[in-house]
Amino acid sequence: MRRHRGDRVIVAMTLLLLVAGLIIIYAIGPMRANFLNAAYGGNISENHFFVRQLINVAISVIAFAVFYKIPYEKMKKWGKWVLVLGVVLSAGLWILAKAGSGLAKCELGACRWINIGSFGSLQPAEFLKLGLLMYLSQLAASRRAEGTLNKSDFWLPVGVASAISLFFVVVVQKDLGTGVVLIAIILGTIFASGVELKRFALVLGAILIAGIGVIVTSPHRVERVKTFFNGEGADTYHIENAMIAIGTGGLTGVGVGNSVQATGYLPESINDSVFAVMGETFGFVGLGLVVMVFVILLTRVMRVAELVGDTEQKLVAVGVFSWISVQMAVNIMAMTGLIPLTGITLPLLSYGGTSMMFVTIALGMTFQLSCYTRREKEMKQAKFSNTHLKKRRLNEDSRSRRR
Amino acid sequence: MNNNRLKFLKILLYVAVGVILVRLFMIQIVQKSEWVAKAEAQHTMENTIKAKRGEIYMMDGNEPVAVVLNEQVYTIAVDPMMVDEKELKDVIFTKDLEKNLTVGLDDVLEDRARRYMIVAKNVSREQAKKIEEKDPVGVWLTATTKRVYPEGTLAARLLGFVNEDGEGQYGVEGSLDEELAGKDGMLKTVADVNHVALSIGNDNIKIPAEDGKNVVLSVDRNIQANVERILAQKMAEFGKDQASALVMNPRNGTVLAMVNLPAYDPANYGNVDGAEVYVNRVTSDPYEPASVCKGFTFATGIDLGAINAQTTFYNNGYEMVDGWMIKNSTYGQANLLGTRTIQEAFNWSLNTGSMYALRAIGGDETQITEKGRKILYDYFVNHFGLGQETGIELFEAKGLINDPVEGDGRDSMYANMTFGQNLMVTMIQVASGYSALINGGEYYAPTIVKGYMENGTLVEKEPIGPVRRAVKEETSAQMREMLWGTRSSQRLYGIDRDGYYIGGKTGTAQVIRNGAYSMDEWVATYIGFGGRTGEMPEYLAMVRIWKDGETTGAEQYAMPVFNDISNYLIDYLKIKPGA
Repeated sequence: MRRHRGDRVIVAMTLLLLVAGLIIIYAIGPMRANFLNAAYGGNISENHFFVRQLINVAISVIAFAVFYKIPYEKMKKWGKWVLVLGVVLSAGLWILAKAGSGLAKCELGACRWINIGSFGSLQPAEFLKLGLLMYLSQLAASRRAEGTLNKSDFWLPVGVASAISLFFVVVVQKDLGTGVVLIAIILGTIFASGVELKRFALVLGAILIAGIGVIVTSPHRVERVKTFFNGEGADTYHIENAMIAIGTGGLTGVGVGNSVQATGYLPESINDSVFAVMGETFGFVGLGLVVMVFVILLTRVMRVAELVGDTEQKLVAVGVFSWISVQMAVNIMAMTGLIPLTGITLPLLSYGGTSMMFVTIALGMTFQLSCYTRREKEMKQAKFSNTHLKKRRLNEDSRSRRR
Repeated sequence: MNNNRLKFLKILLYVAVGVILVRLFMIQIVQKSEWVAKAEAQHTMENTIKAKRGEIYMMDGNEPVAVVLNEQVYTIAVDPMMVDEKELKDVIFTKDLEKNLTVGLDDVLEDRARRYMIVAKNVSREQAKKIEEKDPVGVWLTATTKRVYPEGTLAARLLGFVNEDGEGQYGVEGSLDEELAGKDGMLKTVADVNHVALSIGNDNIKIPAEDGKNVVLSVDRNIQANVERILAQKMAEFGKDQASALVMNPRNGTVLAMVNLPAYDPANYGNVDGAEVYVNRVTSDPYEPASVCKGFTFATGIDLGAINAQTTFYNNGYEMVDGWMIKNSTYGQANLLGTRTIQEAFNWSLNTGSMYALRAIGGDETQITEKGRKILYDYFVNHFGLGQETGIELFEAKGLINDPVEGDGRDSMYANMTFGQNLMVTMIQVASGYSALINGGEYYAPTIVKGYMENGTLVEKEPIGPVRRAVKEETSAQMREMLWGTRSSQRLYGIDRDGYYIGGKTGTAQVIRNGAYSMDEWVATYIGFGGRTGEMPEYLAMVRIWKDGETTGAEQYAMPVFNDISNYLIDYLKIKPGA
């Protein structure tokens, strides 16, 4: 496939979300610093969070560019190793946490981060997301080519890779939210690869049963689900305050810097709850725009999947779509009280480096793939009979002029 | 591979986004006001700006001196959600603060969903400073004030106290509560989760507090203290357990001392046997002062020209009125029978004399008339202010002067009233009336507030001046003479010094027990004035002393108290002897 210009809408939407996130962190970062200083007697400077986020954004933009530049044909070999790295880091984190090492960063009994000194912290689960995404796409594409997609040659490695990743994320790191995102990546890729629906349904059923099992066997999760339905407890306080923030925003919001909820009422205001703060600040109009930007971005990502010729590349784009869609939806639905709280960030908007960087890596890759899409007309040509050629040519002419 | 599955995934996303948008519309547009209300309830901090309670001063000669002060103490509140158990144990729930704690550590730890809980009160400044230095998480100190009494129990029943809720109770604290309390202000702002006010929002309100006035009493702390000393000494000497005393300037109605014993400790006001000990009897406990009231009866007769000191009447030792035999206390003393003057009736406290005066007032020397009763009522109530609130700046009881016409047995009732029984009056009423009797005849409403301390200087209240003329000047002059004569006739011990003009009258009252006058329970009263010979009286003092169930005679128990007070006042007020 000949390389052409990529889909710049993907770049534009990505940057738009990064900038929106920066604005919010700029407005509420000082409040967060103030709150943390008051509560824990720290000495965090007013623009600490904004400066850090600025660096995060810069790194993420570079990551985007790098993964756009490196040809996918080179990268594809790494997929397996990214996954292995993710597993090794997860295992290492587990051991560090068990040993009580300061390198393991834990919150409320869940150790999900590895401290890397002044750079902050690293979340192994992000490696797992990207690794699984690349590895599964590659595996499915090659099995499909071999015609063994519905054989154990495919299902066994998929099962093993998924089980190990989920074991570390859900059981060891107690991170159901990220687990849901991993499952979305796995299911999205498998589903799009063209496996028999019957088998897919079986897998889906198995995951559902396993999911319920995971919840029921953990008293802490049972409690969370219970409190979600009863409306009490710390989670309820969090959700209630997220909804207070969103509700107070009304149609157009209270304006930048006027968020009261971010002064300490709303937990995780700059991380997981940033959507709620945006709701308070920019109102229904602002949140509507944010959601629409996500929809445009994701539609464009899916468009890459639809138009790219190579099966593996197609599946990578579907994986990116599933990843970002589910992470966004789960975060927002928790903030609006539609589902229980899971504690995952809002892609590109929440404060934090690792999460943001991996999402931009995925998007950078997708942007690269968008350089190899066939034109829609070519797709259609393959499908439709010659009788329609004339009409389409006209359409195509006007379209190419617009480009 | 077909793209239908991709379309299906896209549709899943659109459905999810659709649900989210509908949800956002519900929260942000439809239910907005509900969430705004919840936000306001959570964000709005309404703080009362406490007004500073005014302090209370007495006079020390010409200088005001504080007798009730404020001390800053602290209330400790915690946020159970944020506190650290170990820190609380180390800093707040310590032995040092044991007395101040209002809840236990367990109460705080059990209720961690709460964001505010008061854990200690009345914490001293030093203790609060120590806590502040350690700066425990989720702990606030709020400054409040507590009353302190540098003079201990001095004038406790006059001053009253301030209860736990900051309300003045009894005495000056109670009656002048509004003035002393001032008006609290209010601060309403949006605050962050740590209750720090934010500049966000535009409905912030600040109403400053108006501090209470610093009240300066006309009471002189030295006179007060010495009258208390004398009273306590005499009570111990006589074995009496209740006593009240009042010192006034009869020339203007100003109260110089108001004593009720036993006292209580206002700093530990809860530590008493009953609320009775809080009562300021001088103004709030009407009683029958007995023969002291003969002064009012004779003054009425003299003022009308119906009698004078030398008017004679026949003393039988008793009179029959409405079928009741009303006797003199000297009933058995044959040497007093026969024709006697009014002055003698005053000296020996002959009830027959005051009853004669009532008949003379009514214009018929043979019997008590309605006209006489009406005139006596008019003088008692409208001239001397008996059975009426005097208007002093304290809680007052009104007492009772029975109607001269309505009801049965008015004659015997009014016969009794001529010598101060069958009526209910307070000491402040009697003393104010007596002031008018001896000061030239003008009635001054008694007052105990001299003025207010403003920025450290005394701003005196405008004097009210005489309210009315009670009796003619000549009547007053005669009353002074009669009172001097009475006291002189009783002056058996050579107590009053030469060069001073001192008069007074005893009153020994039967007490009503179970609806009838008791024969063996009597209350002693003495009222008198003093000054330089040839000049108007400078002080008036009234003493009431008794013990439940005992006979307490005025001459034996009340007069000696007055004697000591009188001599003390001459010295303290530096009254020079006259010619």
